[in-house]
Amino acid sequence: MPETRSYDNALKMAFPSIVQVGGTPHRAYSRFLVPKDLLSTITRYLHTQPDLRGRLTLLWASDHRPTREAYEIHYLFTLEASHHWVVLSIELADTDRLFPSITSHIHAAQWYEREIRDMFGLIPEGHPDLRRLVRHEHWPQGTHPLKKDFHWNHVLERQQGEYRFRHIEGEGVFEVPVGPIHAGIIEPGHFRFFVAGEPIMQLELRHFWKHRGVEKLFEQLTLIDAVLLAERVSGDTTVGHALAYCQAVETLLDIQVPRRAKYLRSLFLELERLYNHLGDIGAMCNDTAYSLAHAHCGRMKERVMQLNDRLVGSRFLRGVMQVGGVSWDVDRKELSNIAQELTDIQKDFSEVGAIIFANASLTDRLETTGVLTEQIAWDHAVMGVVGRASGRDCDLRRDRPFAAYDELPVNVALYRYGDVRARLRVRGDEIHESIRLIREICSRIPDGPLASEPSKLGTPGDWTLAAVEGWRGEILYMVMAGEDGRIQRCKVRDPSFVNWPAIQWAVLGNIIPDFPLINKSFNLSYAGNDL
Amino acid sequence: MFLAIMLIVAQTAVLLAISPFLVGLIRKVKARLQLRRGASVLQPYADLAKLFQKQPLLSTTTSWIFTATPYIVFGSTLTAGLLVPTFTSQTPMNFAGNIIALVYLLALGTFFLILAGLDTGSVFGGMGSSREAIVASLAEPAMILAIFAIALTNGSTNVSTIVHKTALLEGIVTDPSPHLMALAALFIVALAETGRVPVDNPATHLELTMIHEAMLLEYSGRYLALLEWAAGLKLAVFLSLIANVFAPWGIATTVTPSAMGIGLLAYIVKTAALAIFIGVIECMFAKLRLFRVTDLLGVAFILALLGLLFFYILRS
Repeated sequence: MPETRSYDNALKMAFPSIVQVGGTPHRAYSRFLVPKDLLSTITRYLHTQPDLRGRLTLLWASDHRPTREAYEIHYLFTLEASHHWVVLSIELADTDRLFPSITSHIHAAQWYEREIRDMFGLIPEGHPDLRRLVRHEHWPQGTHPLKKDFHWNHVLERQQGEYRFRHIEGEGVFEVPVGPIHAGIIEPGHFRFFVAGEPIMQLELRHFWKHRGVEKLFEQLTLIDAVLLAERVSGDTTVGHALAYCQAVETLLDIQVPRRAKYLRSLFLELERLYNHLGDIGAMCNDTAYSLAHAHCGRMKERVMQLNDRLVGSRFLRGVMQVGGVSWDVDRKELSNIAQELTDIQKDFSEVGAIIFANASLTDRLETTGVLTEQIAWDHAVMGVVGRASGRDCDLRRDRPFAAYDELPVNVALYRYGDVRARLRVRGDEIHESIRLIREICSRIPDGPLASEPSKLGTPGDWTLAAVEGWRGEILYMVMAGEDGRIQRCKVRDPSFVNWPAIQWAVLGNIIPDFPLINKSFNLSYAGNDL
Repeated sequence: MFLAIMLIVAQTAVLLAISPFLVGLIRKVKARLQLRRGASVLQPYADLAKLFQKQPLLSTTTSWIFTATPYIVFGSTLTAGLLVPTFTSQTPMNFAGNIIALVYLLALGTFFLILAGLDTGSVFGGMGSSREAIVASLAEPAMILAIFAIALTNGSTNVSTIVHKTALLEGIVTDPSPHLMALAALFIVALAETGRVPVDNPATHLELTMIHEAMLLEYSGRYLALLEWAAGLKLAVFLSLIANVFAPWGIATTVTPSAMGIGLLAYIVKTAALAIFIGVIECMFAKLRLFRVTDLLGVAFILALLGLLFFYILRS
């Protein structure tokens, strides 16, 4: 890849003191070891240089102490034009607990850095907001679960503590706490509004109520078994998470996935996208009290979920992914049934979609509500459905093809308004596109084996990255192999973790009764975020 | 005298009995239009029975207003209901007040409900109260103007007299346009006052979007039952008003058993038809943005005003 080389060389020319490492050809990224004091300059360069425009895609730390006295922190950037991945790594000696914060010039880093502080006890120096993020205040001082000397089943004591929200004071300014217990059947999240009358002046999120220690649990499992845990990170993204995890492990273990398995993986991923998008469109209409569309979308979602059940025995497509391929075949007769069923659903959806978009009262609610501008979307590295509704033209299925997408070109839905209606439209377009892709898969799927057997256990300390465009957006996994085929470290990143903070900007100036609608149009996962 | 008391008792019974049915009917219509089977139309009765048996819980921050409000709201709404003819045009309570009394009896209930929403100290109650105050203050003038337009054509502000005259087609000499304008205005007001789509969504679970439901959030047990029933009663009052003022056909104008029987049947059919119509509307429209509600009620006000103007223009 000469183009990639040129980016690497440009970076090395600009910063002679950085060292390129790794570089095995199938790892699709360039990696550089960076001196700690140069980190801010280099990240700023990567982020702002017009021909690079690096988007912070993942930021994670790992504790290497059993083998050597060090922590490592890694910064993954996706270059805007080439979609090339660049990893910058810094190393901290055991006694050194400070690392430079890049939040002041790359806003997307703010939650990652606070997360690292909570989970590892490393302090982002210069971070404007050092309140706890994941570790709520009742966790005792000095407990950092992802450190290697913290036992996974250690039961924490409770301590008293207070989280201070950012305050706005003034005449007629009211503070409205919402959650973490809500009236509907939804996951826990706390929203703190400051309002002057009905318009929202400020929203602050307080999440991480259902922290389950997912990343720590990964470290107790073997590379092969942990796919079951990955399936359960966020229940509605079973295939997305499992697939991203499997791809990372397959790179580590040098497994070639058979072509039929790749096609089936794409099939399951699209089915997942389909049922979630159908449900979301209905739910958005329901939040405007337009229950007719909700009922019909719910009916179509149910059809797809029943189809899932018939195909693989699970409405949520659980248990179909395995390292090396898939564990479940879909025979020729079923494939033609899928095509038939989806033709029906598409006809049905086109009709409901026409009703939805022709309804003036609904359009009035959706247009100009909850606008997320392209600039803010870029600043916070927003991607997925929300990003594409705000003019961020990114879709991993096209940009960094995985599974069978190298043979299945994807038309990416893109809208620029960034309002609730744009997010609805992106979902609508993607439903049609998913159905088209599934039909294509059904007609082009090759015969062959379903899975390749892993032949080795993986080199301890070896790590890699994998990304999948799930229905919400980019799902990233960093998996580091440990001793005896176990996992040394696994970093999970659901798109929700990145897109949640953007809601705080999208609601500004909107009125409080429109918040549930805006929130629903983002529809982010709490479980995938809280881990 | 005995007859009058019997009629009052009968009308009270009819209002209390029909109001949960109307609520259940709207829900059923919505369910059927969404291709759902839906709960039985009798479900609201079961809900009320269940709530009356439950232990009410009170927040420690509440005052006497909170516990008194359900009785005040229920009482004032029921009294307002007795001023509106249902199955017989000669309402026995018509000596007690005219249309203005009706409007302000309803306003009394709304006022206490707003206080109770604030009384709990919960954020959602306060938000519901402030929104209800906006809606109520805009709906009230539209409602009064609409009714005045009707009153002018009949020469009386007494609802009973208006209905009686209209039913017997006495004094209806002018063009029906004031009536049509007032009907449209009153229907919009009815949607707003009873918290239906597109003003409020009685089926929502989203506490941030609620108006009426937000004020009831802290209520439980028999207090909640009374308020739910009162909400149903309010719906029945508005539907009776619309049905009998604009389409009084079939209503009993004499006190004979057969006329009463026909009147009751006609009343049930008319209010049920209106409830079905509301159910259809709820399926066709999304809820308005909160600040668009003022526009809708502004339209109602203008319609009512036009009704008044038409009366004068057409008369001269």
